Amino acid sequence: MPSDEPVLRVRDVRKSYRGRPVLHGVDLDLPPGRVVGIVGENGAGKTTLLRVLAGDLRPDGGSVRHGGRIGHCPQETVLHDAFTVEQHLRFFQVAYGLESLCRAEELMEALRFSGSRQARPATLSGGTRQKLNLVLALMHDPDVLLLDEPYQGFDWETYVRFWDLAEELRARGRSVLVVSHLAYDAARLDMLHRLEGGVLRERERVIASGGDRAAAP
Amino acid sequence: MRRHWACYATAVRMTFVEHLRNRLALVIIVVFIPVWAILIYALSLEIPLPFYVRAADRTVTVPADVLNQLGGALQILALITGFMMFVTTMNSASFDRRLVRSGFPQLCLIAAKLTALAVVALCVALYATGLICLTHPTAQPLLLAAALAGGALIYGGIGIALAAVLTSDLAGLVLVTVICSIDLALQSPLATPAAASALVRYLPDYGPMQAAVAAVAMDTVPWNAVGPAVCWALGTVILGISAFAGRTRAHQPVGGPVTAHS
Repeated sequence: MPSDEPVLRVRDVRKSYRGRPVLHGVDLDLPPGRVVGIVGENGAGKTTLLRVLAGDLRPDGGSVRHGGRIGHCPQETVLHDAFTVEQHLRFFQVAYGLESLCRAEELMEALRFSGSRQARPATLSGGTRQKLNLVLALMHDPDVLLLDEPYQGFDWETYVRFWDLAEELRARGRSVLVVSHLAYDAARLDMLHRLEGGVLRERERVIASGGDRAAAP
Repeated sequence: MRRHWACYATAVRMTFVEHLRNRLALVIIVVFIPVWAILIYALSLEIPLPFYVRAADRTVTVPADVLNQLGGALQILALITGFMMFVTTMNSASFDRRLVRSGFPQLCLIAAKLTALAVVALCVALYATGLICLTHPTAQPLLLAAALAGGALIYGGIGIALAAVLTSDLAGLVLVTVICSIDLALQSPLATPAAASALVRYLPDYGPMQAAVAAVAMDTVPWNAVGPAVCWALGTVILGISAFAGRTRAHQPVGGPVTAHS
């Protein structure tokens, strides 16, 4: 049973764009070995919150503390059209300081990555690009994984494999924070938060047992 | 230190892959520079023109075709280098930011960008110098190459800086074209009767233009042209790199790691 000491602790995070408040004071504790979801309507500030947590945006106030390495899979695939899949993997291997690409290869296998390693992103399908986007966020085996609508463009089988992967991460004590504007995946989550009016207002505890995980992408 | 070398080598490789994928710029370099350099020389009049080399306080007489060719070479090199640096910096902004957030040292990305800028500027300058030397004798070819490389460096820095504020290829190309057209037109005695005015000293390509004319028409180096050229090159490169650094900066989480007492 994992300890409940949070690996990510967010307190009173606030963010405005040109005077328009988006986050009013977000509090969140992410314990280890949990898969937690954040849902909210379009424009509720989910992506802004995740970018703040990932260090991509500076909050106007509040604090974000984490206890390990963070992996961030942005909503839009952040790939470079000049580089091949292999080059993407090599560059991020250097960025993360990894000895080998073993974990990346495991992840590609788990997600059934079908594209050639010599292909460039522009020649890949949307779903395959998203798989590469996800592999780049996960290949250093982060303690906390921040996912912004990570299965856009995935077919059903890949969607199911994605959740299998999330299960595997949870079993290994990793924490996953998934942002979505849909609540389809509620049954797969340990906890669901709703971002509304710039604040995480409601919490719904979800029973995360194996039997009742039927959901749609 | 070893990690930084590995990161630098990777970043350099990455930057050159990006440049080599920019086919339009490569075609312009290979095809357009010689066409431009030869046509502008062949189609200009051979009338003698006085050019005031302010940096050496001397007026030299240069044929209009040679003067046009030098101005044209500086302009096309400025366009190519500015455009290449603008496009690669703009296109890789999100990717570079993701790399930095993932732990890639920002300093290595910056060093790689500067390495690429220096190599591109040097290559296009040597290429253009060779072509100019083929069309007419040049007293100081090395000075000419240095002048052209200096001009290319200045506009490469401008390209990097523009990438921080513009988001379209076309906008970048238009702006670089406008800036360097005004810059060089004001220094040409053919286009501007008052080209010898003291105000031209403050233009970006003043140093390179002065040095280029001295390279073909004089047998001394106009050292007073070096200062402004170095200032402009350093200024634009520092501005560009600062903009790049600001754009790719990763914000560390506020506070320390989570602990039992935090």
